[in-house]
Amino acid sequence: MLRVLFAALLLAAALPAGAADGNEILRKVDRNLEPESYEMYRKLINIEPDGGRKEFVLYSVKKGRDKLIALFLAPPSDKGRGTLRLADNMWLYIPNVGKPVRITSLQSVVGGVFNNSDILRVDYAVEYNAESVTEEKDSHVLALKARTGEVAYDRLKMWVDRKVLLPTRIEAYAASGLLIKTLHFKDIKDFGGGIRRPATVETDSPLYKGHRSIMLYSQLKKREFPDEVFTLNYLPRVEDLRK
Amino acid sequence: MTARALALCAVLLAAGGAHGAEEFSFDAAEFQKKPIEFGGYVEFKQQHYKLNQDGALYLLNFYQEPRETLDQSTLTLKPSGRFRFGDASLNFRAHLEADWETRGYDRVARFDEFYASYKPNPGFTLDAGKVSLKWGKGYAWNPVAFVERVKDPNDPELAREGFTMLTADWIRNFEGPLRTVAFTPVVLPAGPNVNPDFGSGTHLNVAAKLYLLYRDTDIDFLVLSNGSRSGRYGADFSRNLTSNVEIHGELARITETQRQVTTASGTTELVRGSATSYLLGTRYLTARDTTYIFEYYRNGPGLSEDEMKSFVQFVDNAYALYLATGNDAPLARAASLASTGYARPNPGRDYLYLRVSQKEPFDILYFTPALTVIANANDRSTSVAPELLYTGFNDVELRLRAFFLNGGAGTEFGERQISKRIEFQARLYF
Repeated sequence: MLRVLFAALLLAAALPAGAADGNEILRKVDRNLEPESYEMYRKLINIEPDGGRKEFVLYSVKKGRDKLIALFLAPPSDKGRGTLRLADNMWLYIPNVGKPVRITSLQSVVGGVFNNSDILRVDYAVEYNAESVTEEKDSHVLALKARTGEVAYDRLKMWVDRKVLLPTRIEAYAASGLLIKTLHFKDIKDFGGGIRRPATVETDSPLYKGHRSIMLYSQLKKREFPDEVFTLNYLPRVEDLRK
Repeated sequence: MTARALALCAVLLAAGGAHGAEEFSFDAAEFQKKPIEFGGYVEFKQQHYKLNQDGALYLLNFYQEPRETLDQSTLTLKPSGRFRFGDASLNFRAHLEADWETRGYDRVARFDEFYASYKPNPGFTLDAGKVSLKWGKGYAWNPVAFVERVKDPNDPELAREGFTMLTADWIRNFEGPLRTVAFTPVVLPAGPNVNPDFGSGTHLNVAAKLYLLYRDTDIDFLVLSNGSRSGRYGADFSRNLTSNVEIHGELARITETQRQVTTASGTTELVRGSATSYLLGTRYLTARDTTYIFEYYRNGPGLSEDEMKSFVQFVDNAYALYLATGNDAPLARAASLASTGYARPNPGRDYLYLRVSQKEPFDILYFTPALTVIANANDRSTSVAPELLYTGFNDVELRLRAFFLNGGAGTEFGERQISKRIEFQARLYF
């Protein structure tokens, strides 16, 4: 009996330790992917089953854990469209409408396979808790659960390269357990300033059969911004931050 | 031979690989900020109207040449641009429109915006010139929009013409429950030569907006001094209740309004007094990506149901007189009264708005069908507008819409000039 109790105590002690390790890995993954405050450019490419393409170019800035802005630079139909995220608050600015409008955080700001969590992603460790870590050949495999219901995907399964602590694959699941999409991280590139991370993220989704989406990163660099940048009034003027 | 074939295969594979790499290459240098930028769109719109031959507003406009239908083709060019020099910039958005209607041709050429902007730091901006400010949180209506032109609830996202003004914007951020404070003062001159359509007389109008982000709620306090328009003040708010529900509201108090009320015999009376307008609304997103926008709007200075009916009775009487005697003076007078009140957008007192849009149904990417219903809650007349929007072609937006106006005699939508309308709109962005 004592042995059983001892084994149970050991197991109980081991479980939180695994989760703690997982969260520590997750925090390192976050910092290896991006500095806490940064600016970057991304190209999003939607590829349809017939080969048709739609491309978007985004300029993004982030400060701290939960302040983020994404501004569309292309195509012309979306140019100037900006989205501000402050924790769970989100606003969308459309130049024609002329004022930022508060939107629900789950509302998509662009059509196609991408959704807000792709465009306005804050640190994984902010939105997810690592429930367990398992080991595969070259990878840690993190089982992540959303901390709140405010995020698009309830669970993530993240394969992290053990050597460089960067994700190689992420599977995103709905609360029902349905696989929504898989992200493949490729093409590790040196962006300068100590940032070395995948420059390409390919996404496929069983919900959009035959569709693929590619996200390409460029000019990712550390940069500090004043807090006033991350406000409703400044959203129409984000373009001015670009050098 | 084998070596040559292998070499050829190697070259082809290399070429394929090079092509593949090029396929997904991206260099942000192509998108560096330029000192001069141009953009905008050209739009073609074709509209077919089924006229409402029993409607009071139809009688006013068509009593001399009755007709059942009307067609309208509109070509609009909306170029916009920015010239940057240091912390300053010159910005414009122009509106060029050519309009072919069954009865004639018309054109419009104007700047919706043309202003100089000075932004020495993110916390301060100064704009001088013609600026289009957008105040309020409502989607279809904005009772606190004190310094702008009236929004068309049928096209609430359409860019509108601004007014010439001097305006600034201070932004400050803090730690704690009050995260942001922003102050926007406005000085707006109005007279015969500048902003003549802002209001009556010659005045230097002063307005201001104070914005707070307090405990995840957007709050604005707004004021306009007494001048070309009567003095008014108000507040608005917006916040997310959950990750898929947003609520918003506006409240405006107008210190002195006046509206012309017409009796069935044609005598007019100027009714003066203060008025309160308000709006409550919500935006709800379902798990299936259906968005519902619902708003209730109380238009304080609006016309009551009886006042609307009296005016319609006056038009009917005037038309009967015209048919009997050929005297159209009362009809001309009614047309003049209509232009200042009854024929304006949202002349009534209580309105409901519902818009339901479905993002990409049946997995058809870039396709959004929607249904919009606007109802005059007093007389229960409605405008029902289904629409289809497709944005799948690069730089092109296609929209097909229909409007069905319903209501009995004496109601707002039942007395409108048209009973049905179908429109096709193609927009090319550049």
